[in-house]
Amino acid sequence: MKIGLEIHLQLPTTSKLFCSCSTSATEPNEAICPTCLGFPGSRPRLNRKALEMGLMIAKRLECRIPDVIWFSRKTYFYPDLPKNFQITQYESPIGVDGKFLFDGKTIRILRVHLEEDPGKIKRVGRVGEELSLIDYNRSGVPLVEIVTAPDLSTPKEARDFTSSLITELRYLIGISDKDEQTVRVDANISVAEERVEVKNILGLRNLERALEFEFVRQSKMLRAGKKIPRETRRYDEERKVTLPAREKEFEEDYGYILEPDLGVFNVGEIAELMAIPETPLMRVERLSREYGIGLSEAKKIVFTSYALADLFEDLYSKYPTSKALSWILDQLAANWSTLEKKMTEDMRNSILTTIGSILSGSISENEGRKMLVSIIKGEEFVGASQELNNQEVTKIICSILNGHPEIISDYKTNKRAANFVIGQVMKFFKGRYSSDEVAKLVINEIERRLSR
Amino acid sequence: MSDKLSFEFLTRLNEKYKIFSQLINEEEFLKAEGRYHFHFSAKDNLCTIDFQSRAGSRILDGYTPPFDATAVRRLRISGGLLIGKTNMDEFGFGTFCTNSAYGVPRNPFDPDRSCGGSSGGAAATVALLDGHIALAVSTGGSISCPASFCGVIGITPTYGRVSRYGLIDYSNSLDKIGLICRSATDLRTYLPLISGPDSLDPTSCSQPILDLSSSRIKRIGIPKEAMEGISGEVEAAFRKAIEITEEQLSIKVEEVSMSSLRFALPAYYVLATSEASTNLARYCGMRFGIVKDDVNAHFNTFFSEVRSKFFGKEAKRRILLGTYCRRIGFRDRYYLKALSVRQIVKEEYLRIFQDFDLVVMPTMPFIAPRFSDIQKMKPLDMYKADFLTVPPNLVGMPHISLPCGYYHGIPIGFQLVAPHWEERRLLHFAECWESVFEYQFPEVKL
Repeated sequence: MKIGLEIHLQLPTTSKLFCSCSTSATEPNEAICPTCLGFPGSRPRLNRKALEMGLMIAKRLECRIPDVIWFSRKTYFYPDLPKNFQITQYESPIGVDGKFLFDGKTIRILRVHLEEDPGKIKRVGRVGEELSLIDYNRSGVPLVEIVTAPDLSTPKEARDFTSSLITELRYLIGISDKDEQTVRVDANISVAEERVEVKNILGLRNLERALEFEFVRQSKMLRAGKKIPRETRRYDEERKVTLPAREKEFEEDYGYILEPDLGVFNVGEIAELMAIPETPLMRVERLSREYGIGLSEAKKIVFTSYALADLFEDLYSKYPTSKALSWILDQLAANWSTLEKKMTEDMRNSILTTIGSILSGSISENEGRKMLVSIIKGEEFVGASQELNNQEVTKIICSILNGHPEIISDYKTNKRAANFVIGQVMKFFKGRYSSDEVAKLVINEIERRLSR
Repeated sequence: MSDKLSFEFLTRLNEKYKIFSQLINEEEFLKAEGRYHFHFSAKDNLCTIDFQSRAGSRILDGYTPPFDATAVRRLRISGGLLIGKTNMDEFGFGTFCTNSAYGVPRNPFDPDRSCGGSSGGAAATVALLDGHIALAVSTGGSISCPASFCGVIGITPTYGRVSRYGLIDYSNSLDKIGLICRSATDLRTYLPLISGPDSLDPTSCSQPILDLSSSRIKRIGIPKEAMEGISGEVEAAFRKAIEITEEQLSIKVEEVSMSSLRFALPAYYVLATSEASTNLARYCGMRFGIVKDDVNAHFNTFFSEVRSKFFGKEAKRRILLGTYCRRIGFRDRYYLKALSVRQIVKEEYLRIFQDFDLVVMPTMPFIAPRFSDIQKMKPLDMYKADFLTVPPNLVGMPHISLPCGYYHGIPIGFQLVAPHWEERRLLHFAECWESVFEYQFPEVKL
């Protein structure tokens, strides 16, 4: 099965794509002006911020960005479209031939372009007496359309891809949290040869459902020996089925011409000078590459929290061991959400020092774990941070040595004989003290007895 | 300004010549008396908050915009009184001003003849009213043509010189707002007022400053291809004018070859109708064009009804032509090819301007035709009449039509073209020309 997506997302600008109307109006038809209502004689003016965001997305998706771009008119008649043409990009999208690495797979990006949203139709009233109301607040709101090659192979993958793309863009340009529900997708899906297009799917959940339905429908037809016709369908959210779209509704001949009122934009240089902030997936890749850890571990760290990833980097650059990784993943990642809420600079430092001490062996793991728990709980830890109680420890060492006098003589030929004592002491104190320090005391005592 | 304007005179003038699609009302006129520096008119496709702006079309009947076009606003704040909206071919679609829903304006030199189009009302008003300034619009010759037929001056500035904000679009990449007036002095006064960048029209924002300081005109070129198909009386007047130019103004006039000239007309009609067919899509009865609130029909049916009923015949023809040129399969052959042709014509002009200061040719191939003759013309014959006005329009170069002769009292004009942003050459030539040629204006009998 091959799936290709056309993903439409709203860019988080404060004003519309071609006028200065607000994008965050609440009352119907509150944010409107001659331009976004298409008054004769009004002109579009490009919102620079939207252009920059679009370029940033194209750059993040590793697209080729042309030196010069322009806009086009896509003409079709629909009541929500005040001019009966939409200003979009046709021959010169802001980005082409990009790619998006996701879960170890490369999804090719065919194009990224900017366009204006039409108004919104609201149908009210009882069936048969319905009234269509139009809200033009949305008219002229900037959208970015991202078109993938048919590189996705399951409905789940299509959903996951879209979801990680949205996460990426959220970090990159700050798109809204609601986008997972409001993202609009047109999907191409072919189980056999012929391609079926499902238009206007709203939200990630519907995307997966619509594709699953199509997969089942097309597979059934194939099993029954039928040919799948090339067609355009739409997804009925309520009945959870795809239905053939009325031919006329999706007449493909939009008669594109250049938008003469906007002229051309030299974007090559702007794009070149533009710095892309590191997005989550970019960081995952970097962590994996720089620190030699697995992609899935890197992903777990980054997607838990950027702060955890910072902590990981601070720690791992000093102690590049699998142990360091497991401390981060097992001890911290699991409780990070509660931890992050009360995190202070001091606390962060204590955590780093403690894990550092564990990894350098200056305190035992058990000890370290307990210390971490206390740090996290915000308690003063009474233990290793406290002075080693020499007297108490030495007392125990003496009693062990008294019970096992052979150790002293063994030690003369084999220093490892001391390990038994160290082990016993550690066991006695349930790992409360650092094995290093215990070892020091044990050896001191043995040497003392030997020199006697 | 000469004689004092009276409202009664204006009204009677309009009754006879149908030059305005809407005239100022008496109350406003009387209120403004003595409080303005000059009177001006705006072509009906320029938006005005206090007049309907219908672009000569029935589909915009009753439409009064919520804003003034920048050019209108600039003249008002300079002390101008807008006395009316001048009659025009519907949306600018025409050469004879016979395609207006609001009457056919008459030529002031002979009421049986056309005043030219599409800014016919504007040119006729200037011929009838001394001191009047008319805001006009040219897409493919709609300033030059009526200026020539009505014996007045019509300047079409460089594309982008005058903000198009508030101009009801015909073809955005070709539309230019200009002036029709009686003298070079008026041009010098009023052109700077309407020129200059305007943030409301991005295409006006990259212009160099309008510099009208004097410039020397030494050599002028006549494309020899321009003289093919010119009527005898126009050719005779034109040749005579060239003689005067050479002898009295000591300017060298030479023939040049401009082989791309004949491609300009088809390229123009492809581009202009392609853009027009998208611009006119909005007039469907939804937000614009005879809007009804309570509609109970499928939108397609309703839109088609409104458009069929209220667009004129020529508008429909151009919508069909333009839609056809944009369609998949035809787009490459027509629309995209026309864009390349535009580039070729532009390059040819630029080549000529390496050796010549201006290019000159007759404005129209014939004198203002009689309405009875226009009736016999086929659409294609009418389109062909634009073959000399279209080339400079296609490439956005500034040009001016000046009266250059009279045939049995009917004016004949010639058109000069300058390189982009060089309006001053046109102005300079106009000033020189006035010193050696006397313009005639019709006697107004009401």
